[in-house]
Amino acid sequence: MAIETDLELMLRVREGDAASFEILLRRYRLPLVSYFRRMVRDQGLAEDLAQEVFLRVYKSRERYQPEARFTTWLYRIATNLALNAIRDRRDEVSDSAGDDADGGPVLERFVDPHPTVEQRLMQGDRERLIRQAVEALPENQRTAVILHKYQEVDYRQIAGILSVSESAVKSLLFRAYETLRVRLEPLLREGRI
Amino acid sequence: MKCLETETLISYAYHLTDELAASQVRAHLAECPRCREIVEQHGRLDALLDEWKAAEPTPWFDVRVRHAVEEQQSRRDARSFWGWDWARGLALASLGVLIIAGVAWFTLSHTGDYTSSRVATQQPHSMSGPQTPPQTAKLQSPNGTAHPGVEPAQAVPELKSTGAEDKDALALEDYDLAANFDLLSELPKGQARVAN
Repeated sequence: MAIETDLELMLRVREGDAASFEILLRRYRLPLVSYFRRMVRDQGLAEDLAQEVFLRVYKSRERYQPEARFTTWLYRIATNLALNAIRDRRDEVSDSAGDDADGGPVLERFVDPHPTVEQRLMQGDRERLIRQAVEALPENQRTAVILHKYQEVDYRQIAGILSVSESAVKSLLFRAYETLRVRLEPLLREGRI
Repeated sequence: MKCLETETLISYAYHLTDELAASQVRAHLAECPRCREIVEQHGRLDALLDEWKAAEPTPWFDVRVRHAVEEQQSRRDARSFWGWDWARGLALASLGVLIIAGVAWFTLSHTGDYTSSRVATQQPHSMSGPQTPPQTAKLQSPNGTAHPGVEPAQAVPELKSTGAEDKDALALEDYDLAANFDLLSELPKGQARVAN
């Protein structure tokens, strides 16, 4: 049985085929939740946002026009939601924290005040350092790196998702990867031994 | 040997270059240990970034999405019957009735104006003096027969008058005055009827 393309599935969803929507849900549930998990860190919020993406896809199925790749459209919706959520939470934190903005990584201030045992065990390990390094990147660089590295989205598609030129995406990625190389140099040296 | 720009090396390391540029970088790397070191560092960074794992969706995620979609669909179905679609149809129907009523009212009111103005201009006006004898005006039917005893105000007459009344009528230009002027009240008693 041939694997249906996203486009074929979406066109069928447009005609009201619930089974095709179910296939898209299964195909993109993990990528989307992972994407939001890395963008906003919070697992509950990540799932809420992923659910919202699927809901928006379903709501706008009748207006869907196959002009761009399905994943470009999907990640454009997801990226807008993620960035809005980050900004909303940043506003909440700055409102509640008053003037104590320290200029550090934004998402570092969203740490759960009651971490689980598992989260405590994770503190101090390599993964946390990597996550912090990525989260400390400027918003557009962080988005570009997460899309490119973790979602395996082509830089041309990233240009469509972020509505910038391809050369601008290359520049974002170049600066982001170079910053990460410098910040994570201790881990890179450690890895060589 | 001049080293390549860092941007070019990073673009190569992350597959952001086309094949022609990639082959040129490969040729340079074979002879430049410094540039090779940068590319190798980014290769290690690429592997290091893989260690950041994202959690799987919770088992009930799919159920939540399906439920949200079904809820959205049922809301939409309900709205299409009881909500906006239904209300929009009612509003359009009301607007149509209003337009038809407006057009009908406008047509009828203008038709009335036309009739009254025509009757007013055709009424016999005896303005030369209150003592003008009414015998000069005669009501006639279309076939020329007179109607004895018919009140002028009730008849829808086709008036046939003598030349003296026509002159008076031309002198009366004020339509409102003509319409309100009680001609009959000025006639001598017993002569209110149009003479045969």
